[in-house]
Amino acid sequence: MALGIASVHLAKTLRSSTFKLALIAIGIFGAIVLTLFSYVYLSTAYYVRGRSDSALTAEQAILQRTYDRAGRGGLIAIIQQRISDEHFQNSLYLLADPSYSFIAGNLKVWPSDLGGSEGWQNFHVQGWKADAAHQPMLRAALKTLSNGDHLLVGKDIDDLDAFTGKIKAAFIFVIALIFLLAGVASVLVTRRTVGRIEAINTTSRAIMQSGLDKRIPLRGTNDEWDRVAENLNSMLDCIETLMREVKQVTDNVAHDLRTPLARMRGRLEKAYHCRRDSEEDQALIGDTIANLDGVLRIFSSITRIAQIEAKAQRVAFRTVNIAEITRETVELYDAAAEEKGTHLSFVGDQRVCVTGDRDLIFDAVANLVDNAIKHGRAGGHVTVEVVESSDGDAIISVADDGPGIPAAEHLNVFKRFYRLERSRRTAGNGLGLSLVAAVARLHGAHIEMLDNLPGLKLRLVFPPNLVSLSQTVMQATNGGQQITKI
Amino acid sequence: MIAGHRHILVVEDDQETAGQLVESLTTNGYQVNVAVNGSDALSLGLSADYAVITIDRMLPDIDGIEVMRSLRERGIVTPVLIISALGEIDDRVRGLRAGGDDYLTKPFSFVELLARVEALARRSDTVIKETVLRVGDLELDLVSRTASRRGRDISLLPREFQLLEYLVRNEGRVVSRAMLLQHVWDLHFDPTTNIIDVYVGRVRRKVDDKQAYPLIHTVRGVGYCLRAPS
Repeated sequence: MALGIASVHLAKTLRSSTFKLALIAIGIFGAIVLTLFSYVYLSTAYYVRGRSDSALTAEQAILQRTYDRAGRGGLIAIIQQRISDEHFQNSLYLLADPSYSFIAGNLKVWPSDLGGSEGWQNFHVQGWKADAAHQPMLRAALKTLSNGDHLLVGKDIDDLDAFTGKIKAAFIFVIALIFLLAGVASVLVTRRTVGRIEAINTTSRAIMQSGLDKRIPLRGTNDEWDRVAENLNSMLDCIETLMREVKQVTDNVAHDLRTPLARMRGRLEKAYHCRRDSEEDQALIGDTIANLDGVLRIFSSITRIAQIEAKAQRVAFRTVNIAEITRETVELYDAAAEEKGTHLSFVGDQRVCVTGDRDLIFDAVANLVDNAIKHGRAGGHVTVEVVESSDGDAIISVADDGPGIPAAEHLNVFKRFYRLERSRRTAGNGLGLSLVAAVARLHGAHIEMLDNLPGLKLRLVFPPNLVSLSQTVMQATNGGQQITKI
Repeated sequence: MIAGHRHILVVEDDQETAGQLVESLTTNGYQVNVAVNGSDALSLGLSADYAVITIDRMLPDIDGIEVMRSLRERGIVTPVLIISALGEIDDRVRGLRAGGDDYLTKPFSFVELLARVEALARRSDTVIKETVLRVGDLELDLVSRTASRRGRDISLLPREFQLLEYLVRNEGRVVSRAMLLQHVWDLHFDPTTNIIDVYVGRVRRKVDDKQAYPLIHTVRGVGYCLRAPS
C-alpha cells in the first residue's frame, strides 16, 4: 500500500512540468560544466607534457654538445655521471652502437619495438626499475649521432600520467556529484511544488463536491505558495459571501413577491366563488392590476440593480452637471415634501461636473431624497447640498433631522430588501439604497453615512472625474507641478 | 403620410401577445398586420406603407433593432415602437431617442401602448404653430409660459408648466407616468416610487381646485388624461 502510494507520488513527480524544467536546466548546466572541465583537463595535460618534453629536449642538447666536444668517451662519462646522480633517477639514458648494442646508460637493452625510429616515442620496458610493480610509461627522444651511434634520452612519465589521471578522476567525481545533487534537488523541489498544487487541487475537488466551506491549508512559510493559497482562500470567501447574499436576496424576493401574489390569489379565489357584480369586479380587477404593477416594479428594480452592477451602462457615460441633476430631483420631490410638511431645500454650487449617466444619478439622488422625506421627521427639514470639495471631490449630500439609523445598522441598509424593523410598515421594498450603492459603485463613487445630530446625513462622494483628471495631468506635465491627489 | 392612415404592422413572435395587440388595436380603429419573425417583418415593412410599426426585441431570427435598422437603410421612415422584455432599456434602444422613435418595456398596459402608437402616428402631422393652447376654459400662453383659467392666472413652476403643456398637447389621450418622466424630465426609467403621482397631484390642485369642472383625470393603473367635459 505504502509502496503503491510512493510510486504514484513518484510518477506524479516525474510527470510534473517543474521536474521537466529542472531536467532541462540540469542538462544545460551539465553541458557547460562538462565543457569547462574538459578544457581545464586537456590544457593541464598538454601543459604538463610540454614541460616534460622541453626538459628532455634541453637534456638531449646538452648530451649532443658534449658529444660534439669530447666524442663518444665524453658522452659516456656524462651519462655515467647522470645515472649516479639522484636528481636524475627518473631519467632514462641509453647510448647504443649502430647495431643497437649497449654502450652506456641505465637502460640495458635498446627497446626492440623502437628499432630504427627517430624523434619522440612512448614505450614500455620490462624491469627497468626493479621495484616497479608494473611497467611504467616511458617517453624518450631518439637521435642518431654523426658516428652512427644511437642516443636515447627519456623519462619515466608515469608520475605525470598519474597526476593528469587524478585531475581527470576528480573532475569526473565532481561532475557526477553535481548531476546527482541536481537530480535529488529537482526531485525534492518538484515534490514540494507538486505537493502544494495537489493541496490546491484536493481543496478544489472538495469544494466542487461538498460546498464552499473548505479552504486551502497554509503552511505558514509566507512564501509565494502561501500567498497563492491566501488569495485563493480570500477569493473563496468573496464567492461564499456573494452566494450567501444571493441566497438572502432570493429568499427576500420570494417573500416580497409571494406576499402580494398570495393576497391577489386569495382575493381572486374569493371573487371566483361569489356572484358576478360588475362594480365589485371592476374594483377587484383594478386592485389586482395595481398589485401586479407593484410586483413588476420589484422585478424591474432587481434587474435594474443587477444591470447597473454588471456595468452594462458605462458606455452611456458623459460629462454631467450633478448640481443641475440634483436641483431637478429636489424640484421633483418638492410636491412630495410639501404633502408631508417637510421643508426640502437645495443649497450649494451651480456647476459641479462628473463623468456619469444622468438617469442613474437622478435615480440615485431621487432614492436618497425619497428616503429622507419618508423616514425623516414630519414637518422637519431635508437639506440637499452639492459641493466640490477643495481636493476635487464632487459631493452630493442629503440630510434629514429624523430618527437616523443606528450605527450598527449602517452597513445592512445597503443590502437588498433590508429594512429596519420600524420601517417594515412604510411603503417601499428595501431596494432603494442598494440601487444607490450600485450606482455609486459604477461611478467609482462611495457613500458616507454620517450622524446629522439629530437625523441622518448621506453623502455620495465622486472622486475627481477622469476628464478633468487627464487635464490636470497634462497641466502638471507642462508646468512641472506635482499632483498630490488622484 | 396619408392623413387618417391607420395601418399598423405588429412584429411579435408570441401568439398570445400578438393576438392581444391585434385585438386592442383593431378595437381602436386600426388595421393590423402581424409578422411573427424578422424576415417577415422586413418583407411586409418594405412592401406596404404603415403608420406605425411595433417590433419586439427578441425575435426568433433577427434582433428587433436590426430589423428596424434594415428598414431605415432601405429608406423606410415609418415610426417604430420597440418593445423590449429585457427589463431595463439598454443603450441601443436609448439611442433611438435621437431618431424620434419610441420604446416600451414588457409587460405594458394596452392603454399605454395605444397612447404611444397614437403619438407616433400623429407625429408627422403635428407641427404646432400656435402660441396659445386652449382646452375648455384653460389657456396656455407658450410665449410668456403662463397658464390661466377663466382669465385667472395659475402660478406654475417652469417644470409644472411643461407638464401641463405636455398634457394639453395630448388632450383626450392617456399619458402614462413613464411618458411624463420621459418627455417632461427626459428621464428614461420607470420610477420606483409614486413621485409622479404626487407631482401631478400638486399641478392638479393648482389647475382644478375651485373650478367649474376638473380637467386632469386619473386613469387607473396607467396615468393621466387631460380633457374638458364635452
